[in-house]
Amino acid sequence: MWTRKASFTFAGGISLILIGMMISNHQMMILGLSFVAFIVANSWISGHGDVEVQRTLSADNLYKGDDLYVELLVTNRSSRRTQTLEVYDNVPHEMKLRSGLNQMKMNLGPGESARIRYVLRCPLRGHFSIGPVSLRYRNTFNLSVEEMFVDHHSDMIVFPQLRDVEEAFIRSRTPKMYTGATTLRTPGPGTEFYSLREYVPGDPFKNINWKAFARTGDLMINEKCRDAVTDLYIILDSRDIARIGTVLKNPLEMGTVAAASLANFFLQRRDSVSLIIYDEKLSYLPPDTGDKQHFKILSSLAGVAPKGAMPLQAVTNSLAARFSRGSPIFIISSCEGDGTVPAAIRDLVGRGHEVTVLSPSSIDFERLVSRIPRMSYEVLKIERQNRMTSLAGFGSQVIDWMPDMDLSQALLQVRGY
Amino acid sequence: MAADGNSKFKRIGLQFAFWGVLIILFGTLMVNFVNIGQPNQLSAYDDDWDDLSAFRQDINDMGIKTKSLVSSPLLLEELEDPRNVTFVIAGVERDTISLPQFSGDSVVTFASEDGYSPGEVDAIVEFVIKGGTVIVFEDYGYANTIAEKFGVKFKRAQLFDTVYVHELDYNYIWTCMQLSPCGMNGTVIDTETIESHSRWNSSDALSGRHICAVWADLMALNGTTISKDEAGLCAQHHQDGVIEYNASYQMLLNNITSIDIDESNKHSAMITQGIRAVSSSEATIDINGDGEIQLSTNTKTPDLWGQFNLSIEVCASVTCSPFEAGGRVHFIADGSTLINAIYDYEGFNAGKYGPVTKEIPANDNRKWALDVIAEALMGLDPVTGMPLGEPSPTAMVIFDESRHVQSNVATDTYNMLYFVLVYFTGEGLAKLLLFIGLFVLFEGVLLKKKDPDPWRHVFSIIYYGFGDANRYSYYAKTNKIKQVFLSKVRNQNGLTREEFDSMPARELQAMIADPVLVKFVFENRDFTLEQTVAIVKRVKVWGRV
Repeated sequence: MWTRKASFTFAGGISLILIGMMISNHQMMILGLSFVAFIVANSWISGHGDVEVQRTLSADNLYKGDDLYVELLVTNRSSRRTQTLEVYDNVPHEMKLRSGLNQMKMNLGPGESARIRYVLRCPLRGHFSIGPVSLRYRNTFNLSVEEMFVDHHSDMIVFPQLRDVEEAFIRSRTPKMYTGATTLRTPGPGTEFYSLREYVPGDPFKNINWKAFARTGDLMINEKCRDAVTDLYIILDSRDIARIGTVLKNPLEMGTVAAASLANFFLQRRDSVSLIIYDEKLSYLPPDTGDKQHFKILSSLAGVAPKGAMPLQAVTNSLAARFSRGSPIFIISSCEGDGTVPAAIRDLVGRGHEVTVLSPSSIDFERLVSRIPRMSYEVLKIERQNRMTSLAGFGSQVIDWMPDMDLSQALLQVRGY
Repeated sequence: MAADGNSKFKRIGLQFAFWGVLIILFGTLMVNFVNIGQPNQLSAYDDDWDDLSAFRQDINDMGIKTKSLVSSPLLLEELEDPRNVTFVIAGVERDTISLPQFSGDSVVTFASEDGYSPGEVDAIVEFVIKGGTVIVFEDYGYANTIAEKFGVKFKRAQLFDTVYVHELDYNYIWTCMQLSPCGMNGTVIDTETIESHSRWNSSDALSGRHICAVWADLMALNGTTISKDEAGLCAQHHQDGVIEYNASYQMLLNNITSIDIDESNKHSAMITQGIRAVSSSEATIDINGDGEIQLSTNTKTPDLWGQFNLSIEVCASVTCSPFEAGGRVHFIADGSTLINAIYDYEGFNAGKYGPVTKEIPANDNRKWALDVIAEALMGLDPVTGMPLGEPSPTAMVIFDESRHVQSNVATDTYNMLYFVLVYFTGEGLAKLLLFIGLFVLFEGVLLKKKDPDPWRHVFSIIYYGFGDANRYSYYAKTNKIKQVFLSKVRNQNGLTREEFDSMPARELQAMIADPVLVKFVFENRDFTLEQTVAIVKRVKVWGRV
């Protein structure tokens, strides 16, 4: 593609030729012809984008707010110089350049390489991809420019931030849950000694009690007490109404932080944690323990987006059979725009679940972006208090989470409505 | 996906339709302006029997440059020395391309018919006025736009004469370059009827004689003997070491018409018209082209009978002499006068131009043509003004190929494009249009041609999730406030809806225990804004311990 400079030169050349012909001025015609010839000759001397790129990221998974170090290695594979080559690494606009630049102008000889290094800050959770790499090469006189891209992508996941909630659970009387590894007085896999029994074929050799064998002459097996864990359910409201607020402060963002932090806390206590996300459909991650479950939960939370309007009761009704008896349930929802919330919580409490409602105050999030008349705001707040009161009346623990409140702070402020 | 596929097909279809229409339009244009004919004839650069290569070769051999004009005679305006240039138009086989142009009175006109546009005709007239020589060989073609400017007109209908070549057929007519017709003696020209050229054999010592005759006299005066190679432009008259100029010309023509004098559109600078050759007085013209001669006035279109002009010379000077300023135009009523078969009859009869069925008789076409060239292009002594025998250093013969039908698309398209180029750089209106076009082009480049934007990473996470603002006014209404308050009362007291609804008013009043709020709940009346604000404040603190 010609640049503006080339277009002007060519148009000027043609004009000079034609005007030269009109006024029979050979010098003018020759000058015009020179311009045109210059353009034609230059069209044979062009750069190229035959380069190899390789991108290295400091991490594939990181938490919201973390920095990502990126290095892009560009190598000229051709036997020709690239001429003026601009390389631009396409970075998602949700990421902020903290230092360095994601582009560079270079003129690489055959086999030469150049490195572009830059640091990105990731202020938003989500699944992101860096790439492709855009190339723009010009010839020496900047008369032609061509663009292409190298389809090289690097995918990454930005998890929601994890907040420390342990202190809140220690200091607060509520919610008080008997979670974590609990020793049951029944034999099974565990760490604590339970009893000795005779060896049966199939028992692992590592469990043989050699001292007892030396003493009795019979092979004896150490039996352990079974370690039991609590199944904990986190239900996250990702309906469209959860988007109210700013990009960093809205019920869904705070909900994902809360869900990730709670899941992290309980998984560290060796509980089984399940994650249920409801928006226009229901997403259910069965309870499990360990790092793998932690990763699954964080990945799911990284990808949630506000949409749909599924009622909570539809969620609890469809999953009631899967909930372990008496297991604690965290519901993270603003409880706005859903008339089935009281009934759903009443049912869960009725089935013996220990229900905690962590409710971001949507009217206060709305106040961050809209000018709400004072009187209307007060009436809306009273109505919300009524709703929280009624939920507490059904036997659940209710936490009214204000936008400027940290999660641990919110957990400490459980109010007895 | 399906919608994407449909739009993709629609886009491809639209593009296909666009390019199809464009190709059809371009094709239509090309069909109108590009005429592919039979293998081209009357070309100075082809060497078939019906081309003019022998004539061009003779000119080159005399040391005169030859050029072909494939675009437009507008280029004649660019010649620096038109006095030493001869422009040869041999057969105008195609019409002009009709493009707008300024007429003489600055009105925009379109060339409508007959070969050359007004601008081109003006260029030819100017060329003649400046001393150039034009030879127009034409029979049934489009040369009348030129002819009319010089006060003559081609009849464009076939002329039959009794003076024809009996060994060939009646299409081959004999004529002599003289004021009275030559006659036949049996099947050959009666030599008794052959006279001399009316202008080139005058008694006037200088201006009334052919330039070769003047130069021969000069040579004779000096007593110089010259070889044929030294005879220069007069070599056709060389005999035994001297120039023996002979002013009689026995011309052989083929499929001819006649030339009328019509001075209605004649340019004022064309001073002299001289008839140089005529048919016999028994010639007929098949006006209606039906192949029959019907002279009776009873017929709808009676044919013509009598003596007709076959060659006329028009000059921009009084004497038509090369020693005077101003050029001349020779009109010949036959487009094929100088074709190889007739011009180089010896070569033709020897089979140089292909198989021969009938031999062409000897004729003076070559002698006449070279004498015209000699008169037009012979150099004059800058001091004495006398002829030098050699062509002028700037002598040139230009053959007009712009009106010849070409045998292939590429050549004809090239000619047409070249014509357009010359039109836009030569014609006044077109120049104006071109200037406007160039201005628009520059503006277009300035406005439309953008360099690619520099790459820049934009960090953008601006997002606002708004709630339903319509509900704000609803939440300021008294009834809504009342409803919210009663819900608070019910919740505070742990009552179900049914229990609350069935409760007596007195109990509710006691439960509220605030006279202002009791009044608010039980009185159905409007409240001022201040009152409502005060009530909301009371509702907010109600129930707090």
